[in-house]
Amino acid sequence: MTLRLGLLGVMCGILCGCGNLPEPYAPPTQRPFFEAPPEAARILNMADADVESHFVRDISAELQGNTWRWTGKRPTIRLHLNSNQKLVYSIDFAIAESTFQQTGPVTLSLFVNDHLLGSFRYASPGRQRVEKPVPAEWLEPDENATLAAEIDKVWTPPPPGGTPLGFILIALGLEQRELERK
Amino acid sequence: MKALAALAGAAFTVAACYGLGSMIAARLGARLRRDEKFPLAFVLGAGVLHLAVFAVMALKIAYKPVLFTMLSACVAAALATGDWRLPAAEDAGRDRSLPVGIRYLFGIVAAAFTVLYLFNAWAPEISPDGSSYHLSLVALYLRARGFTPVLTNVYSTLSGGVDILFVPAFAIGKHSAAALTHFAFLIALALSVLSYGRRIGQPLAGAAAALLVYLSPVVGIDGTSAYNDVAVAAIVFSVFYWAQIWDSQRDGRILIAIGLLAGYCYAAKYTAFVMLVYALAFVAWRTRRMGPAMVVAGCSLVMAAPWIVKDWIYIGNPVAPFANRYFQNPNIHVSFERNWTAYLRNYGLKNLWTLPIEATLRGEVTQGLLGPVFLAAPLALLALRSRHGRRLLAPCALILATYFGNVGTRFLIPSLPFVALAMALALEPAAPLLILLVTAHAAASWPESLVRYTQAWTLQGIPYKAALRIIPEERYLNDHLEYRWARLIEDHVPPGKRVLVRSEVATAYTSRDVLTGYEGAFNEKMQDLLDVGWDSSSQPGKQWTGSFPERRVRRLRVVQTGTSEIPERQWDVHELRFFDAGVELPRLAEWRLQARPNPWDVQMAFDNSEATRWRSWETLRPGMSIEVDFGREQPVDQVRVELSDIDWNVRMRLQAMDANGRWTPLPAREELRQMRYAGSVRRAAGYELRAHGVDYLLLKDTDYGAQDIAQDPARWGMTRLVYASGASLYHVNPNQVNP
Repeated sequence: MTLRLGLLGVMCGILCGCGNLPEPYAPPTQRPFFEAPPEAARILNMADADVESHFVRDISAELQGNTWRWTGKRPTIRLHLNSNQKLVYSIDFAIAESTFQQTGPVTLSLFVNDHLLGSFRYASPGRQRVEKPVPAEWLEPDENATLAAEIDKVWTPPPPGGTPLGFILIALGLEQRELERK
Repeated sequence: MKALAALAGAAFTVAACYGLGSMIAARLGARLRRDEKFPLAFVLGAGVLHLAVFAVMALKIAYKPVLFTMLSACVAAALATGDWRLPAAEDAGRDRSLPVGIRYLFGIVAAAFTVLYLFNAWAPEISPDGSSYHLSLVALYLRARGFTPVLTNVYSTLSGGVDILFVPAFAIGKHSAAALTHFAFLIALALSVLSYGRRIGQPLAGAAAALLVYLSPVVGIDGTSAYNDVAVAAIVFSVFYWAQIWDSQRDGRILIAIGLLAGYCYAAKYTAFVMLVYALAFVAWRTRRMGPAMVVAGCSLVMAAPWIVKDWIYIGNPVAPFANRYFQNPNIHVSFERNWTAYLRNYGLKNLWTLPIEATLRGEVTQGLLGPVFLAAPLALLALRSRHGRRLLAPCALILATYFGNVGTRFLIPSLPFVALAMALALEPAAPLLILLVTAHAAASWPESLVRYTQAWTLQGIPYKAALRIIPEERYLNDHLEYRWARLIEDHVPPGKRVLVRSEVATAYTSRDVLTGYEGAFNEKMQDLLDVGWDSSSQPGKQWTGSFPERRVRRLRVVQTGTSEIPERQWDVHELRFFDAGVELPRLAEWRLQARPNPWDVQMAFDNSEATRWRSWETLRPGMSIEVDFGREQPVDQVRVELSDIDWNVRMRLQAMDANGRWTPLPAREELRQMRYAGSVRRAAGYELRAHGVDYLLLKDTDYGAQDIAQDPARWGMTRLVYASGASLYHVNPNQVNP
């Protein structure tokens, strides 16, 4: 008797719990898009979901290891920024061991709107990070800006050939350092 | 006038309880002594009256005249039947053995504390829980003329057998009347402990135990606030008391009182349900039969069932707010229950071995102290030598067993009468020591002494000017920030509008619909919208992509396979999108969406808003899924899931339903990428708040996200209406604010 009552209680409990589950839902009303104010600066991570829309040339469409991409000789991106003040060119990249064996020491030249910002020589493979302030007069607020990094020697694949490789690009963009408060 | 109304409201309610209880006790054939009649009849009557008020509330006829008539009928009937009268004085003769000097000493101490307590209970009510959920629910029900589903306040799901007695008192005398009604339970508790000592022929032990309970600081402040713990203690002790009366009289009708009170224990507080176990076991043990125990069980069901049914109907969980994993419902998240109960088990104390000191001496973490004399509580075990002691310690052990589910000091109050009586019985042979203990307890429990050794929640003095409203109520309450915030809402938010707050305000002093962040599933979702707006780790930060050769499928699901050892980790999906040849499939009306767990929020993953997210609201575990039925076969070659940046343990697999209705794995090339939302998440969050009916937001300066919104409310689609007392009140109006 007690066992039956207990079982009845458990069944009631299960029915009571399951009875709450709803029928499947239809998709809801789709929400509008809310425009964000333009960014003052942006670093593009190669894994960012929208990163391809910023590519101009020489960056692989294929994301490697969920974080980086191969470049060609002069990887270039386009950014639309609302400021030209206190901007710093920032690049996070690596010289691959495998390409270095063929190319030897390489020089990387950084460009903003085709102005040469600086050149850096690397005598060994490995990960590198460069930051360099950008003169305000090279940029126009609310205009597109192009950023490039040109490597002087690319790795050429052995016959029958393929795509030449520059370096490993992880992130590239402009960063705004804190503006002085008046 | 307010002072008199408060007193009248409480007095009328207490009189009705006593009158009703007196009539029932008389008809049950209970031979009560003069000194025990008031406490026992009052508590029994309170139990039965609570059912009557429940019925009035369920019928939605809680109008003042109805409540007034009900109370009047109880008093009038008791007067008319003669049951109101106390038994003749000669029935209460054994207390003469208490020496006159001790009677005077104990009498003076009791009188002094009664004055302290009376004025505190009478003063405007601003206790933390009383001015927030206890009385805000009472006020809400009165405005609605009865019960109404309060799905945004988890406390409304707790059984409210004592709070419901505040309804008639509040209708007459407002907030203080409720606190005074609770104070009546404190008087009844002390008197019942006193008279129990006399009943068993040990008046000194009874008197000493009554004072040990009555003077305890946590009992004092709790019993003079619109709480329910002291009332629960009175009900619990009444079950024991009536069981002893039944045992001595062996009149089967008394079993009805035991059953009703045992059921009232559940109705008053879940944790007190163990007294039903006690009552059943005691009756079965003493009769060696199941029949009498069944009478007790049946009567207890009369008291407990209304609360179970109410929760079942309103919440979908008869034991809400617990067991939500088994009684799944859209109103209380499993994660809330887990976090809440985990906190209540330790209150943040790292070492539970400090509890004895915390509960007796410090009380700052566990919100109250019993008093240092209760460090001597182990002496109660010496009472095991006597039959009376053993009878006291059995229910005490049961009640104490529930304490570890909530280690707040006030959760020790129901066991206190038993502990105090057992201590007093053990020490009665050393009467001077017992008297010294009581005197020391009195000295240590007076407000001026308490401030010397604790910062805990205790009474601060005798606020007679506030009680008599010589200091206007408004001015007295204005000293409390919680009240000022409530008035801020009342003054600036139009009636019928909803306000989201992240932490407590004195909601009992506003008629607006205030959603406190953690107090319900809906509130938590609204709070989550705010978090997504300002906290980058809550924003969509990663995109998981599963690509596969194009395939025609009708039903497809994403199954989560990861686990997490961190209980707070959940599965969050901001958006789930399907693609074919690089083009997103439009979300058609014939699609049908399901999720496990938390099926109710699945649309949040399909609304095209990055501010909303479907969350599991349970710890990450394998088997969670989101499923889409396209309504017909549909070519698909890619699934994209947008996740929060903190979902590091989430692992996903795709499954498609085959022609036989079986889910089969859909091998896919997986990719996890970082993502940035190009739009304004803050503005999307403001839009969603408004879309969900939240028109106002009150944020204290110390609340999460308060600084971000204060810096630029327009970015959120909000305007700041007022800043006062360290809090900002915002109007959420995304369509009218230009960012």
